[in-house]
Amino acid sequence: MEWDWEFVRQITPTLIEGLQITILATILGAAVAAVIGLAFAILRMTAPAPIARATGFAVEFIRGTPLLVQLYFIFYVLPDIGIRLPALVAGVIGLGIHYGTYAAEVYRAGIENVPRGQWEAAKATNLTARQTWIHVILPQAIPPMIPALANYLIAMFKETPLLSAITVLELMNQAKSIANSNYRYIEPMTLVGVFFLIISLISVFFLRWLEGRYARVDER
Amino acid sequence: MKLRAWMAMAAGATALMAVAAATPASADENKLEELKEQGYARIAIANEPPFTAVGADGKVSGAAPDVAREIFKRLGVPDVVASISEYGAMIPGLQAGRHDAITAGLFMKPERCAAVAYSQPILCDAEAFALKKGNPLKLNSYKDIADNPDAKIGAPGGGTEEKLALEAGVPRDRVIVVPDGQSGLKMLQDGRIDVYSLPVLSIHDLVSKASDPNIEVVAPVEGAPVYCDGAAFRKGDEALRDAFDVELAKMKESGEFAKIIEPYGFSAKAAMSTTREKLCAAK
Repeated sequence: MEWDWEFVRQITPTLIEGLQITILATILGAAVAAVIGLAFAILRMTAPAPIARATGFAVEFIRGTPLLVQLYFIFYVLPDIGIRLPALVAGVIGLGIHYGTYAAEVYRAGIENVPRGQWEAAKATNLTARQTWIHVILPQAIPPMIPALANYLIAMFKETPLLSAITVLELMNQAKSIANSNYRYIEPMTLVGVFFLIISLISVFFLRWLEGRYARVDER
Repeated sequence: MKLRAWMAMAAGATALMAVAAATPASADENKLEELKEQGYARIAIANEPPFTAVGADGKVSGAAPDVAREIFKRLGVPDVVASISEYGAMIPGLQAGRHDAITAGLFMKPERCAAVAYSQPILCDAEAFALKKGNPLKLNSYKDIADNPDAKIGAPGGGTEEKLALEAGVPRDRVIVVPDGQSGLKMLQDGRIDVYSLPVLSIHDLVSKASDPNIEVVAPVEGAPVYCDGAAFRKGDEALRDAFDVELAKMKESGEFAKIIEPYGFSAKAAMSTTREKLCAAK
């Protein structure tokens, strides 16, 4: 078996189509995760005890089960109760909920890391709850969260091949389908690796920059 | 600076992979002796009754493995060890030396004949559709699916049905690769696909097990010929293939062949009335 550049040229456009779906799933998944994570974090920190505990349990449950199982559940089991989602939507929701639970912990840690004195000072200067959050707490809580969140974004990006199990035609699935009809794995699978590597490297570079920019500001 | 080092590493890894892949797999003339010594042959199967089946207890059955097991026994290889694989992954797996033979109902088509050494025909079947009761989209051939922009077809990855659908002009995004029979049926029931296509006997097996009154079968599909599979061997293992053929011919002669495959619903006559040469040449 030899490396065939002609074959590479021939399959690259198809793989790029798959890559677009992969990136789309990552971005949408990240957006869902950001919102769901925030909801989980707020519920866990501010809701009445029973709801907070239930949320905590849900978060632990989702973190403690494999993403692949969750994807199968969303894709194959939910239709039984009348919820039929298209494959990509099911995948985005699965990724979003799964990584949302991780994001929730990041949010929680970020907010809890704001020193107690800041809350008390806000109260002492008679700021409203809204002003406290917007002007005092969030500006201090968000910057340290950014590198951690970006880390999960990269992790999520690398998990998208799982979506091929629920028939989403993303990069991995396109590569498999090319391999299936040409009996050659080396070029498609190598290219999948290379595409993931290129994007991960760019992201790592960006992450380093984020860390430099945000993580070490105002060491308290 | 760091980034450049990373890039160099990536390039190195890629080059290494290319070199590793370029080492040719040497053809072994004493393949049969090797298998005898080993005591078993590794076969690739799918899990698609009645062609190939894996019971709840892990026991491998189905017409294709049963025939292979018997012939290997006669050749002096007492056992077969099966691994489940996607159809499209079987030929690459064979070429990579992961399997000694494919016995999975992998139908002979010219491009497959070019990639592997097939035995004489073993199991023949036509193609079928499972679809919603009443056939609401009026789909009777792969061409009908191509012509209807709303129709989605599900088929096993790399299987004959996927290829037939693509050849008939169904665009890639309407050919859904379904991992196994149960998921295919479920996707059909949920309305994710409009048609699930498999060989006739497989569809009947699947639909009768599901016993869902809302599913009906179109069999055979219009315009799709009857295909036959054979046991597939690596190019270079023709000696083993020829030995396999000799035993297969003897069994066909004596009627033992029919005794194995007919309980599964396959016609021995269909396999005996055609040859590998004819099937491989067919369009």
